[in-house]
Amino acid sequence: MADSADDDAFRAQLDALIGAPVGTGRPSVAPDPVNLPMIRHWAAAFEDRNPVYTDTEYAATTRFGGIVSPPLMLQSWTMATVEITGIRERGGSPVATAGTSPLSVLDDAGFVGTLASNSEFEIERYLRPGDVISSTTVIESISDEKQTRIGRGHFVTWVTTYVDAAGAVVGRQRFRILKFAPAKTS
Amino acid sequence: MSFRTLEWAAVRVGDALPPLVIDVTATVIVAGAIATRDFMPVHHDRDYANAQGSPDIFMNILSDTAYSSRFLTDWAGPEAMITRIAVRLGAPVFPGSVLTYTGEVTATSRSGAEGVVEVAFRAMNDLGEHVSGTATLTLPAG
Repeated sequence: MADSADDDAFRAQLDALIGAPVGTGRPSVAPDPVNLPMIRHWAAAFEDRNPVYTDTEYAATTRFGGIVSPPLMLQSWTMATVEITGIRERGGSPVATAGTSPLSVLDDAGFVGTLASNSEFEIERYLRPGDVISSTTVIESISDEKQTRIGRGHFVTWVTTYVDAAGAVVGRQRFRILKFAPAKTS
Repeated sequence: MSFRTLEWAAVRVGDALPPLVIDVTATVIVAGAIATRDFMPVHHDRDYANAQGSPDIFMNILSDTAYSSRFLTDWAGPEAMITRIAVRLGAPVFPGSVLTYTGEVTATSRSGAEGVVEVAFRAMNDLGEHVSGTATLTLPAG
């Protein structure tokens, strides 16, 4: 068991991460503008027949005034284009990432497990074809150590802010993971 | 095909949403992962998933939120706008299971020309609760 001076030093390390960018620190710009072919692909995959996503004539009669992107596609537009070769070797990461993750502090302290716990979206406006979206992600909070059913760990929340070409916020996502020390089986 | 948007004034606290039942196959999981641009191999490669200690590929989180939004707008209609959605993640979804979304209205209010509806929902499968969540929608209220 660490003594309290060690605990304080570790908490200070965690506090230093609050506000730190996740990823490169530069905005992730969508490789393509919001577009109907990708919307149609999404709507087909989820069998979502909402006509405001794919029916131009119908969408024009609604309060949206035209085709809009499904609101939960927000997260997909700015994701990096996958590099298939090497994806296994990268542990499933879709692209090679440069530098170390800010969360390596937790890995180094034995909290090597990762479990997604919550995903929350605030939608300011629905996106339209042609919108070019970019996003930035920062760590919003890191909890004190908690005992959970899968082991001791810290809940880490990051917030991604999505903006349009004019810089107006179109939505936010909060994503919470548990970084945990896998319980020892003895 | 005709589409109807809910009349906000007719929505009552306690109204149940029509359940959304998804017969989950490997195709459902892979189609959802790729349509959301999520190429993590655990969502399409069973060998890889096995090596990670998972009995099979499993549904990705972006599909969970996608189905959650479909569940809400299948009920509320094309004029509905989702302004907030929050899900807590639970049991995984593997091929061969049936995922059932249910939910009910927890609050209604009016904001200018818009009616606001709050919904609480969950999706269950054979392993338990897959997601539980809350959402806020707006409807034109004249």
